Amino acid sequence: MSQPQAAVGAAAPRVDARLRVTGKAKYAADNSPDGVVHAVLVESSVGRGRVTGIDARAAEAQTGVLKVISHLNAPELPPREGQFPPGEPLRPLQDDRIRFFGQPVAVVVATTLETAQHAASLVEVSYDAEPVSTDISAAEPADDPETYARGDADGALESAPVRLDLTYRMARNHHNPIEPAGTVARWDGDRLTVWEKTQYVQGTVFTLSAEFGIPPDSIRVISPFVGGAFGSAARTWVQSVIAALAAREVKRPVKLVLTRRQLYFGVGFRPAYEYELRLGGNRQGRLTASAHDIRTESSRYERHSEHVLEPGRMLYSTPNVRQAYRHVPLDVSTPWFMRGPGYASGAFPVETAMDELAHELGLDPIELRLRNEPADDESTNLPFSTRRLRDCYRAGAREFGWHRRNPKPRSTRDGDWLIGMGMAAGVYDTQRSEAQASVRLDADGIALVQSATSDMGPGTATSMTQVAADALGLTMRQVTFRLGDSLMPPAPVHAGSQTMASVGSAVQDGCDKLRKQAITLAVGDEDSPLYGADAADIVVRGGRLYVKNNPTRGETYQRLLARNNRSHLEAMGSYAGASEAEKFSFYAYAATFAEVAVDAHLGLVRVRRMVGVYDAARIINPRLADSQAIGAMTGGIGHALLEHTVTDHRDGRIVNANLADYLVPTHADMPEMKAIYIEGEDYEADPIGVKGLGEIVIVGVAPAIANAVFNATGRRVRELPIKPEALL
Amino acid sequence: MSTEHPVQAETPSVEPPSTPTRRTFIATTTVVGGVAVAGGLVAGPLTPVAEEAVAAEAPPGSRVSLTVNGVRRTVTVDNRTSLLDLLREHLDLTGSKKGCNAGACGACTVLVDGRRINSCLTLAVRLDGAEVTTIEGLAKGDRLHPLQQAFIDQDAFQCGFCTPGQIVSGVGCIKEGHTGSPEEIREWMSGNLCRCGCYVKIERAVEQAAGRK
Repeated sequence: MSQPQAAVGAAAPRVDARLRVTGKAKYAADNSPDGVVHAVLVESSVGRGRVTGIDARAAEAQTGVLKVISHLNAPELPPREGQFPPGEPLRPLQDDRIRFFGQPVAVVVATTLETAQHAASLVEVSYDAEPVSTDISAAEPADDPETYARGDADGALESAPVRLDLTYRMARNHHNPIEPAGTVARWDGDRLTVWEKTQYVQGTVFTLSAEFGIPPDSIRVISPFVGGAFGSAARTWVQSVIAALAAREVKRPVKLVLTRRQLYFGVGFRPAYEYELRLGGNRQGRLTASAHDIRTESSRYERHSEHVLEPGRMLYSTPNVRQAYRHVPLDVSTPWFMRGPGYASGAFPVETAMDELAHELGLDPIELRLRNEPADDESTNLPFSTRRLRDCYRAGAREFGWHRRNPKPRSTRDGDWLIGMGMAAGVYDTQRSEAQASVRLDADGIALVQSATSDMGPGTATSMTQVAADALGLTMRQVTFRLGDSLMPPAPVHAGSQTMASVGSAVQDGCDKLRKQAITLAVGDEDSPLYGADAADIVVRGGRLYVKNNPTRGETYQRLLARNNRSHLEAMGSYAGASEAEKFSFYAYAATFAEVAVDAHLGLVRVRRMVGVYDAARIINPRLADSQAIGAMTGGIGHALLEHTVTDHRDGRIVNANLADYLVPTHADMPEMKAIYIEGEDYEADPIGVKGLGEIVIVGVAPAIANAVFNATGRRVRELPIKPEALL
Repeated sequence: MSTEHPVQAETPSVEPPSTPTRRTFIATTTVVGGVAVAGGLVAGPLTPVAEEAVAAEAPPGSRVSLTVNGVRRTVTVDNRTSLLDLLREHLDLTGSKKGCNAGACGACTVLVDGRRINSCLTLAVRLDGAEVTTIEGLAKGDRLHPLQQAFIDQDAFQCGFCTPGQIVSGVGCIKEGHTGSPEEIREWMSGNLCRCGCYVKIERAVEQAAGRK
């Protein structure tokens, strides 16, 4: 018998809200184990070359400095192998090679933070510097592109009645969560405990285990709260290893928190690209061919790839497609996945080009998209599990008032402001991975559910509590969900919008098992009112087991356990993840609508309104889902109009490595925003019917704004961010 | 930037001159109900520092008395210590967050004598006699401050990291009377960044607590 749904679908407030609004939630750097000392990194001030000397005498002379560690005196660590991404990972202070500006070259450990900071400024490092290559436009790509093809794209382009040949550029973006990366490391003999900002506690265990050559079970990583991450904490970066190494060297717990500036060099970024897109179609607006050539940033020591090509491969019906993805190895630190990775980058050229084609053909941009809706996924020939993109267009157009858009650019004014409307589609793949969750129901009727997952903001503990409460037949108050400790049952990295599908399915499985255990116990217990009942007829609600069609016949978990002298019941839930050979094409979809006002004299763009409509299948908590979508539209404003990491190509330094010069959206930038989720489930994707929503909500925001800017001004900007000077 | 420029205060150090093997420490003395309690000791090295340390001086420190969340604290601080680091590393009040340490993000916002400030940009030695209110000092026992409750009601946070600064800043904004319209709230809250993008809901929460909703 399936359980009544009471908690899932409810707009419940966050279960950990009080901790977060009272300052009691403990983030990594809030931990200070007894005897903790402070570590501060010294970073390279050249972008490539070798360290020829380190003079730490002045630093060491500071009272309170315990040790200055560099490659000159760091213990040699065992070799590392088989890592992701491919390449040679940056090791902690193991050699004299400088791979990028800002690379850690030494660490100062001192009894106080002030002393460590000052001493770090006194460490003199000399270099044999070499010329750097950090400009994607000036550098050569590697000669082994990742390619894809179907049909004959070049031939079809040649004969297409309508052809667009466009080049798009996107600047590098940095995640910039407000919480900096931070690590507190403590050794107890051979055992290592780490309080870490991480989206993947067990991933941090694997990395530390590999770096130090110690067994994973000698390491514990604790991370119950993550202060935003957007992908940046989905990898264990070198400073975490340096913190643990320093703690071992000074034999004291060490706290190492990156400065805001260091975050621009050390924890990844959304890589810049140049994207050449050729689009061919007929006069009726049917696409016949597309060719996609991307050059994107990677580091020289590792190769980072993202799914930038996917939207151009499967979003629209196109018989002939050719794609090539070329890495440009540069003297930079390795890029890393940032919210909506690949797809958000790839949606900008594809969705802007669709808008350009619609304008060229005199078609409504939504109509053009509808004419190219595919029957199935043409990149895999698999049917879509669910694809409610048409519903997204329809609902969005109605809510936004799309019919009021004047298709003629630069035709609507409000005083000095040029007004425009634009829209774009979005897509993100539904990832699922293996996960487990433990469930324990105590004799007092209270359940504890645990999994080593994470919560960087979506409200993982809340949504998992909802799934568990329904499956156990308890109220949310009777369930506690804990996460963020590597000793808990395994969970995948909290990234790629896979947490709800993966961990949620494991939670449901464990709770189902436990509930069935209790039912089995009851129907076999002569003293139970449920004795002899058909187990399949029994449901549980509010902690009471009863026969569905005879609710008076039943009893509570508490009575059942007490009478049977059971202190608790427990079960382990599991979920296998996506199957090796998928039978469907699994994606979440979005349609984002934006209205902008552009100052006709200054080129200043202000977003006035946005509506986002999403096919993310089942929504566990509409309140949390709304916050995620509004937040992503906000982030998308940054992506479209503000965010731009600027590198000085003379030495590879990032010149705006701070939150005053790297602009992110603020309170004052906020438009009116509305998020709508199309109703529906996707039980082909996973047992709880969700498709994930943290990423899809940002995919398409930037091109929707860019298309609105075109409608407002008649100026087509093919570069993100769209800066005022491009509109003057 | 990995370092801050140390600021030399005129106040002479209250620490005796150091010796190479002497443990430096910064004592934090808390006066609660007339009883002096030593707490928050930050001990120095267990091992002797390098020989070059012979010439080293202890960092200049000063004695400061301030009231934090209604509790009088008398502390001897390194003159370089910011109010934020004093709160976080010495007084065990980790609710105020360090997001940028440069006054750009507002995660460290606290009230000093009723005015909101960036505690990362404020040297603790300047605050003799000051009254400091942090996120930990807003609730009355189990009863949340109306703005804390409004943040929960409006779901005005996701990761929660900027939240303490947003809430304290919002309390200041309300006290200043800058809540006449959503636009005014947005303008006067713009010193507090939220990367999860909860601004719309933060503005509603401030409106709710200001009694406009």
